[in-house]
Formats: sequence, C-alpha cells, structure tokens
Amino acid sequence: MSNKTYDPYEMFKKYTDQWEKQMNDMIHLWSNTREFVQYAKAGTDSHTWFLEQLRKNQEVLISQWNLPTKKDVANVAKLSIQTEEKLDSLEEQLWKLQDSVDSSNKEIESIVEISSDIIKITKQLKSELTKTKKDLAETKKLRSELEELRNEIDDLTSLKEDLSVLKAVMKDDHDTEVKTEEEQELLAANTK
Amino acid sequence: MATETIPKIDFEKEIKRWNHFMNIIHESDPEVNPTPRQAVWKKNKATLWHYRAEEKKYDTPIFIIYSLINQPFILDLAPGSSVIEIFVQRGYDVYLLDWGIPGYEDKDINIDDYIVDYIQKGVRRALRHSGAEEISVLGYCLGGTFASIYAAIAKEPIKNLIVATVPIDFSVSFVPDKWAEGLRDGTINIDRFIDVYGVVPASYVEGMFRSITSPIYNSPYLTLLNRAYDKKFVEKWRRMNSWTSGHIPFAGEAFRQLNNDLYKENKLVKNEMTIRGERVHLGNINMSLLVVNAKHDHLVLEEQSLPLLDLVSSEDKTYELVEAGHISLALSGKLASIVNEWLASRSGEATTK
Repeated sequence: MSNKTYDPYEMFKKYTDQWEKQMNDMIHLWSNTREFVQYAKAGTDSHTWFLEQLRKNQEVLISQWNLPTKKDVANVAKLSIQTEEKLDSLEEQLWKLQDSVDSSNKEIESIVEISSDIIKITKQLKSELTKTKKDLAETKKLRSELEELRNEIDDLTSLKEDLSVLKAVMKDDHDTEVKTEEEQELLAANTK
Repeated sequence: MATETIPKIDFEKEIKRWNHFMNIIHESDPEVNPTPRQAVWKKNKATLWHYRAEEKKYDTPIFIIYSLINQPFILDLAPGSSVIEIFVQRGYDVYLLDWGIPGYEDKDINIDDYIVDYIQKGVRRALRHSGAEEISVLGYCLGGTFASIYAAIAKEPIKNLIVATVPIDFSVSFVPDKWAEGLRDGTINIDRFIDVYGVVPASYVEGMFRSITSPIYNSPYLTLLNRAYDKKFVEKWRRMNSWTSGHIPFAGEAFRQLNNDLYKENKLVKNEMTIRGERVHLGNINMSLLVVNAKHDHLVLEEQSLPLLDLVSSEDKTYELVEAGHISLALSGKLASIVNEWLASRSGEATTK
C-alpha cells in the first residue's frame, strides 16, 4: 500500500519532457545533413537579399521625404560616444596629473623632512660651536695662567741659580776664612 | 487500494495554481539585482558596478566579466541565488562589467574594442576606485574567453584569473557537425547577414542558441504549471524566465570576429589572434588560474576549456568539474563556494576596512 498520491501534473510533465527530448533529438538528427545546410544557406541568402533591397528602397524613400535614416541617427549617437570617450581620456590625463602632483608632494615632503633635519643639525652645531668658543676662552685663560706660572718658575729658577752662586761664594769665603784661620793658627804656632 | 491512488481535488490549491500560471502573462518584469551596488564608470551602454564588501576581509577585489549573449543579472538574480551576494558576504569587493544592450550605432564594435576600451579600462578604473594594488579577474562563459584574451595582453597587475564554463578551443562544440562544417567552409556565410543587420537581433541570438541546445523548449512552462501553487517558486521562476528570454543583440563586427577568428580559424588556441596589433599568446598568462566546468553543460563542453590549462605558463593552476549545468553552476552557489575557497588564500588579508 503506497502513501504517494497520484499527481496528474507530475505525470504530464514527465511525459512531455520525454516527448520534448525525443523531438529535439529528432530535429537535430533530421537537420544534421548537408542538404539542410544548403537549405539554410539558400534561406539566409534570400533573406539578406530581400533585406538589402528593402533597406535600399527605404533609404531612397526617406531621403525623398527629407528624413534622417537609421544610419544618420547611428552616426549622431556615435558622435556622442566619441565625446564620452574624449571625456574619459581627459579624466585619465587628470589622473596622471594628479598622480604626478601627488608624487611631487611626496618629494617636497621628503625634502622638507630632510631640511628640518639639516636645521636641527645646524642648531646642534651652533650650540656646540658656542660651547667650543667658551672652552677655547677658558683654555686661553688657562694658558695665560700657565704662562704666568712658567714665568714664576723661571724666576724661581733664576733665584735658585743666584742662591747657588751665593752659596758657592759663601762657601769660598768660608774656605778662605778657615784657611786664614788655619794660616793664622799656623803662624801663631810658628811664632811660638 | 485503488481509491488511494486517485487524488482528491484540492480546489484552493488548483485555483492558486491556475491563477499564478495565467497571471504570468500580465505581470511586469520581476525585480533582479538585489545586492546594493553603485555605478563607478559608464561608457557607451556599459556600466562598471561596484558591490561593497559587507565586512572587507580581502585586499584584492574581484572583477567580473560576463558573456555578451545575455544579461549579467543571472549572477545576482535574487537573495539566496546570487554569486555576487556570496562574494560580498564573504568579504570581497566586487566589480561587475555590465555590457548593457548594444544598439545599431554599436555595429562596428569588435572584440579588440571590447578588450581594450571596455575590459582594460574597466580594470584600471576598478583598481583606482578600490585603491588595491592587484585584482582578480573572473570570466563566465564567453566572458571567460574575453578574460583569458585580456589576461594574455594585460599591463595591469592581475593576481588571479578565474574562468567558468569557458570556450577556448572552438574546434569542438555542441553544434551538430554538418552545421559546424557548413559554417567553417563558408557554405553558411554570415558576413552578408551582418552587413545588412548591423547588430545581430536578440531574437536571432536566442534562436541560434535555442537551435543548438533544444529547438523545442516547453519544459520550463511545464515545471511552472507543476508548482504554480507555490508563490515563492513562481517568483523564482519569473526571475529565471526573464533571464532566459532576455537575450540581447550582439554587435555585428564582434560577432563576425567571433565567427571568423575564433570559430572558423580557432586562432586563440593557435596563438594567432591579435588585439590592436598585439599577438595574444596564452602562454603569457602566468598568474594563478582556476578553471571551473559544469558536468551537465549543454552549451560549453569540458573539452573546450581544458586546453587553457596546457597553454598557460601559470605554475599555480587548478581545475574543478562541478555536478551542475551551464547556469545552475552559478545559481546553485557552487561556483561562488569554489571560487571563494580558492581565492581566500590568494587575495591577501585586508589592511583597511
């Protein structure tokens, strides 16, 4: 006992699908011949010949009525398409310009960045120069002090020399004195 | 037992079924493209749409190129049936190049123009708009062929190339062999036809594809009748039907080039195709590559896509064959899942949100 109910539409579709497939296969089988191709050629040739004649006559008639033909309207449409293309190419050129401006801006930005670095370094150098100047002044002061010290040392050296001369002189005097004393003693001894 | 198989008539259900079914004829077109988007560029009939990521997770946006045969809203059909919605939810910025509907004035647009003036410029716009350094390109069907041609000559930084149901080798196809023979040897000459029409009318484009796939095509209406009592299903069907019957005209020169250079001479595979004088060498494609095919595709064969894997010089290449059809690959969400999984490790984590 089946629970499935009979659906006439389903059945109808099933049989019609089968019929459609068989018919299509038959049409393809029947038309897949050299003769059919020849008939198709004759059909398209006569169809195009008829249309060519119709178009020619239409154009003659339309020109007599002073009306634009389909070709005239198409040409006008083509002009508007050309204008659109020109606008497109202008827009693309604008892009290129925009791109080059953008790249120039980037270059300028990088130059500005480098310049600010240079300014920073210059400032640093300047402060270092001031510092160096200050150091130099101090060095000069030290040098003059050293000069003075040197002079003093020189003075002391000459004093030392004088003293040593004086010492030598004094020693000589002392020796002479001793000698004299000894001589006097000797003389005194001799006189005794 | 026999009485159990005889259905009871549910009058309410039948009234609903027939009301919905009959009203289809009078109802206006359903709403599609539900994912919020913004136009970032317009050229002629084409629009470059931007779908902002809900919460940006990846740096590399996805640029989608759809086919010229039909409208791209199949990629954003309805909430829950949208490839784009999934990408946006997963954290990708998405750009979609919508070709628009060509008019008679577009008859001279050829494949070279589509590649250079639309795809290449569109990719540049998307890169500029997103501020991304690289982009992933996703092409669907013929959009995949265009994406591959573009990727081979691209000067832009393409990180990943994804192609789904892409025809690359035109020596094999679903076209019945005698028809193919007639097209290749010039018995059926489309040049005169294009000269007289300018653009191939939408009804002819539809007829062409219908004749290849299924000349008799009633099954969608039977499916609708079968489930017309369900309002949700009817809504979904209406959206799908508006896409399947929404073919668009094909620019004449592009169609001529597609037929002569790709279909007849198979120049892409032979590396003989040129775009504005530049040779399209598929070996120049060296970015990461993902090729996705549908097992039950009745429009693009697996054999048409596979040669791409051999012709590119990419070291990182992946092939996926999915249990789906040409369109259900996108609608079922399988394509979005595969692409998301593959792209996640190849898209770079977002640095800005």
